[in-house]
Amino acid sequence: MRTKKILLGLALIMFIMPSVVWAAGQQEADKEIVLKWPTIWVGADSKAPMVKALVDEFNEMYDGKYQVDIEENPDYDAYRNKLNAQISAGVVPDLFVFNVSQTSFAFYEGDLLMDFSEDLDSDWGDNFVEGSIAGATIDGETKSVPFEIAVTPVWYNMDIFNAAGVDEVPTTYDEFFDACDKIKAAGFIPTSQMTGGTNAWTSMLWFSHIAAAIGGPDVWEKDITDPVFVQAAEILLKMYSDGNTSKDAIGGDAGVSGGHFLAGRSAMFINGPWYIGRVKSEAEAVYNATTIASAPGSEFSGAQIGFPQSNLAAAATDDPRKKEATVAFMQWMTKPENVKKISFDSGALFAVGYTVDENEEVDALQGKFMNAINDASFINTHFQYNYTSDVVAEFGQALAKMALGQATPEEFVEQIANKID
Amino acid sequence: MRNKNWKQILLFLLPVLTLFVVYFVYPLGFVFVTSLTKWNGIGSMEFIGLDNYIDLFGDATFRLSLRNNILWALIRAFIHIPMAAGMAMILARKPLGWKTTRTIIFLPNVISQVALAMMWLAIYNAEFGILNSLLEGIGLSHLAQNWLGNTTTALPAVIVQQVFYIGYFMIVILASRMGISDTYYEAAEIDGANILQQELHITIPMLRGILITTMTLALAYGMRHFESTYLMTNGGPAHSTSVLGILLFRDMGALKYGEANAIGSILIIFGGVTIAIIRWLFSRNDSASDAAQ
Repeated sequence: MRTKKILLGLALIMFIMPSVVWAAGQQEADKEIVLKWPTIWVGADSKAPMVKALVDEFNEMYDGKYQVDIEENPDYDAYRNKLNAQISAGVVPDLFVFNVSQTSFAFYEGDLLMDFSEDLDSDWGDNFVEGSIAGATIDGETKSVPFEIAVTPVWYNMDIFNAAGVDEVPTTYDEFFDACDKIKAAGFIPTSQMTGGTNAWTSMLWFSHIAAAIGGPDVWEKDITDPVFVQAAEILLKMYSDGNTSKDAIGGDAGVSGGHFLAGRSAMFINGPWYIGRVKSEAEAVYNATTIASAPGSEFSGAQIGFPQSNLAAAATDDPRKKEATVAFMQWMTKPENVKKISFDSGALFAVGYTVDENEEVDALQGKFMNAINDASFINTHFQYNYTSDVVAEFGQALAKMALGQATPEEFVEQIANKID
Repeated sequence: MRNKNWKQILLFLLPVLTLFVVYFVYPLGFVFVTSLTKWNGIGSMEFIGLDNYIDLFGDATFRLSLRNNILWALIRAFIHIPMAAGMAMILARKPLGWKTTRTIIFLPNVISQVALAMMWLAIYNAEFGILNSLLEGIGLSHLAQNWLGNTTTALPAVIVQQVFYIGYFMIVILASRMGISDTYYEAAEIDGANILQQELHITIPMLRGILITTMTLALAYGMRHFESTYLMTNGGPAHSTSVLGILLFRDMGALKYGEANAIGSILIIFGGVTIAIIRWLFSRNDSASDAAQ
């Protein structure tokens, strides 16, 4: 009798257990996958409204299956530092954005990031501008998805040029400094510059333009102590001399250099297309007066500075459902129609190609950016793209020293060279 | 007695000892060990011995930053604290409006460093700053300049911005000063001592313990100084305001964790040695300061 009971119990357990296990597995499989996305495209960032709209649309589309939660990180520098610390600690966010640089490519080491190379081999890869996937691939692994790209031509405020009696943007550095003299005489600041911030952004871009004009498309293959860079430093120094920039340029940050241009005080400024939205909303008169062109030429002319600005990346995972959700989101964000929406709304440019219908109106300044890319004799990356972040930080310090008359252009490049490993 | 109860003592100490080891000893050891490596925080570590330290001491920016850190520590200990003590002594005598003054002086301590730095950036701005406008207004326009963009004025400008925020230490010293019985002062007054003599011969000796403590804290704050300089100058121009914290932060941003941790180790060692010297100087043959320790 007792044995019968035991056998009956065991039979029941054998019958029930698989059902319980199956039900638990089914519940797990049905569970919504939530991906956290700490991002900088929030707050006042020009891409923020459309990025949020697209994330909301994605969540609605995959309601109950996948969900992406945006974690707001409005401070770019703080975001980068947080990301470095997290990745170094092996705690990679589900989804994140990073500025493409020699430093950030270290994230590719180890097995921390998801490899999209197989997924990008499909039709999805056809969405991207030629060469952009190759630029995000190291040793056959594409551990980030190319997203935002940038070209940083010179922004010319033609109202100031006209007030100074200069009708055309300068095409050589002789014309450039002649124009500077006239602009100063008219009571304006010729150029926006800055040595502060983490990368002396505006001046670093001026230097990159000058170097491209003197050294040509292969300039970054040269050693930083090459005479090309000394000549570029001499021209940059002249931009800091004789009132050719604002009094607060030494030590000033992006708020200073951008602020003078937005306020209609400075005639020439350099930045990327993401700044279009800000100029349009905060300084309409400047927006209307702005024309976009390449920097003056020297041995080479018509060059532009262009570079991958930010890639999308994700944490590696063994969970196939999580990987599926991540790829679905990446594909959603890089869908040509969606990229077009962000681009039209913010002015930013992307590594994803899309078609513009005849009846669609492209922002006037964004159109000028596109023309600048098409008209460029060649496109070079900038100084920041070619060196690690500590070398880039040294650029601003060395520039301040030179601008204060405490170092010669030769010593300026020497100081940078000493920082390179 | 001690041998008999050692198990119980150890049991009670265990939680705090565990926390101390996990959150202090282990990270400290990790910092020292990794400072002997070349490591980007992601890949494998390469042991390079003392190379990071040799490179750092050969670097002019590092030596300048170390000098600035020592300067910050000394200014905080020997200017900031005496100012706080002086103000505490004045307020302790309860002059008219002393409560309002105390609140106003303490106020910057409840405002974020970021907000204060932004305010001072506006004050020092070369194009529109209040300071330059003021100088121009009183006929001293030849003194107007780019205060934070000049290697001779940037460091004093950042120091001035910090050194006057004495509120925190003033409150600490004032609390101790209020604890001194009025009878000492009344007796001194009967003996004909003026206010200065009373402060010199009664207040300062009786506040010796708290003064040593606040000076030690101020030294520690000076050695680890970072925020206001980072926010106002990022160590520039031309590294003139740089401190070790900024170099460490920059190396971490460049994923050079070996070198960053070598800077961290040096900071810890220098901080410890400086504080030990100060405390030794003040505490020789002095039981009052022993109490403060």
